[in-house]
Amino acid sequence: MQSIIERIEKEIASWAPEAGAEETGVVRATGDGIAEIDGLSKAAMSEMVLFDPTFDRTLAEALKDPLPIYGLVLNLEEDGVRAVILGDASKIHEGMLVRRLNRLLSIPVGDSLVGRVVNPLGEAVDGKGPTGATQTRPIESEAYGVIDRASVNVPLHTGVKAVDAMIPIGRGQRELIIGDRGTGKTSIAIDTIINQKSEPAATRPICIYVAIGQKESKTAKLVAELEERGAMDYSIVVTAPASAPAALQFLAPFAGAAIGEHFMEQGKDALVVYDDLSKQAVAYRQMSLLLRRPPGREAYPGDIFYLHSRLLERAAKLSKEKGGGSLTALPIIETQEGDVSAYIPTNVISITDGQIYLEANLFNKGQRPAINVGISVSRVGSAAQTKAMKKVAGKIKLELAQFRELEAFMQFSSDLDAETKKRIDAGRRMTEILNQGRGVPLPFEMEAAIIFAATNGYLDSFSPEEVGAVEKKLQDYLAREAGGVLIAIKESKEIREESEKTLREKLDAFIARYAKLQG
Amino acid sequence: MIDDYTRLLEATAELEDKEASDAAITKLIMHLKSAGRMKMLPAIARELRKVAARRHALRPYVEVAHEKEAAAALRAAAQMGIIARHAHVNHSLIHGWRARSKGKLIDHSAKRALLHIYQKVTV
Repeated sequence: MQSIIERIEKEIASWAPEAGAEETGVVRATGDGIAEIDGLSKAAMSEMVLFDPTFDRTLAEALKDPLPIYGLVLNLEEDGVRAVILGDASKIHEGMLVRRLNRLLSIPVGDSLVGRVVNPLGEAVDGKGPTGATQTRPIESEAYGVIDRASVNVPLHTGVKAVDAMIPIGRGQRELIIGDRGTGKTSIAIDTIINQKSEPAATRPICIYVAIGQKESKTAKLVAELEERGAMDYSIVVTAPASAPAALQFLAPFAGAAIGEHFMEQGKDALVVYDDLSKQAVAYRQMSLLLRRPPGREAYPGDIFYLHSRLLERAAKLSKEKGGGSLTALPIIETQEGDVSAYIPTNVISITDGQIYLEANLFNKGQRPAINVGISVSRVGSAAQTKAMKKVAGKIKLELAQFRELEAFMQFSSDLDAETKKRIDAGRRMTEILNQGRGVPLPFEMEAAIIFAATNGYLDSFSPEEVGAVEKKLQDYLAREAGGVLIAIKESKEIREESEKTLREKLDAFIARYAKLQG
Repeated sequence: MIDDYTRLLEATAELEDKEASDAAITKLIMHLKSAGRMKMLPAIARELRKVAARRHALRPYVEVAHEKEAAAALRAAAQMGIIARHAHVNHSLIHGWRARSKGKLIDHSAKRALLHIYQKVTV
């Protein structure tokens, strides 16, 4: 009690009336989360304003609900400004005083956010109390320029065989995950986050998952999964659920990028997943229409491309002089009926450094992940792929593309020659090998060993139907019997001659033992 | 076009000269009649009402906690560029005064100070 009194007395003693004037405005009209404000003639674009609920109340009333409501200036007009309300819009009323804060919208950043679930304003929403972050950072900031960047040369292993082998992602890259609803887009992103646990702590990226316009139950389930798998130890979840105002859904990816940039500037690696940018675009469209900005194609505002390009351009691999950190972005886009030529998908495809295209047909056929290898591409990731993976997975993409063509041809012709049949069987086997359930990402060395076995004919004696079961047994066997080789591959990131020799011996032994067991 | 007419009238009103305003309105009505645009008059009136409401919201306004503080408050506000004819009593300020005009706010009230201290102590 004494300390509280002392503190209050200290504050009273040190208090002096603020001499200067502050710039204020008055709410002229409000509705749909937008406030029209008279005054604030010097306000800047993206500046924060504060709707002061205490101004026209008595002290007793003000103390009951002293929490300010923030707003974001988005339209500068001749006789006032329009701002989006970043809180409970029902508390804003006509004639309310609005104060300028003289700062751009910022959020708290720092190590104390790790393991927490926050909203786009950086406020904790996981019931564990305040985050305790003391540093702040503007939500919008300019992306690094050419001189400050280095080329992408360090791999970011997703733990998904099909991705790491054929569509490799590098640290600092922007790889789009695109597909219809329910095709496994989020699963790839979550597996990638979970897989970072197998990375050494020193080089493990801080993962930021940004949930935009999603059901809170889905986000809660996802956080529980990350906690259960120990991935929250190096992850941050930013959530702007479907029930949040459109303004928060629009801001969420920028908040995720700001948090990621903080780690990048410390020389660390960060990974940010934007799930998903289609919903952000819809939220931005809603805001823009309410702000009376002219609608363009599909009623999206004219700057919708800039919205996504300025966000994704913030992903970077910094030069050594800048600390060498990186920010990898995995934006997700949901398509309708597989239409990748719609407005938002084409925009984001053109911005990113490649895309992982998930197809509903493949998903329904049972392929996991349902990646269409033909139109999935990684434009810069191959430079970051490890030697080991390059060596084992070099031809897979081409062979699978050929297999897809032959598979289509097979539907018309029942009489196939031996060579074609062999190729089709090989393609089926490879498809089975690349099949991988949700939530079971594999360490990179295990992926390399499995693909090595598949591409070097060790599994050719099995029918495509058997391959799935054989692969699981092979994984167990390698983990049990070939630990040394796996460690050697992990450390050297390549399959050296002696490792290859030992791996071949282990694979021969496995095949012999398996054949004996099958009898 | 409505904006242009409104702005012209607004500029005239700024002179606060009744004769000049009346003359301007008479001329405007004559012009609208000759141009066949009399239908615009209600819209112009609506716009002017908005302008008046904006001016009212941003007008010079000085509040004091007690009547006895009025003279000093008006003087202090005037020194800081807010000139008002009289001060309004607002007991919720507890002590001191605050003044605002055209988006500028000077708050020297005890209520603001107490809220400030409360926020600093509780956060």
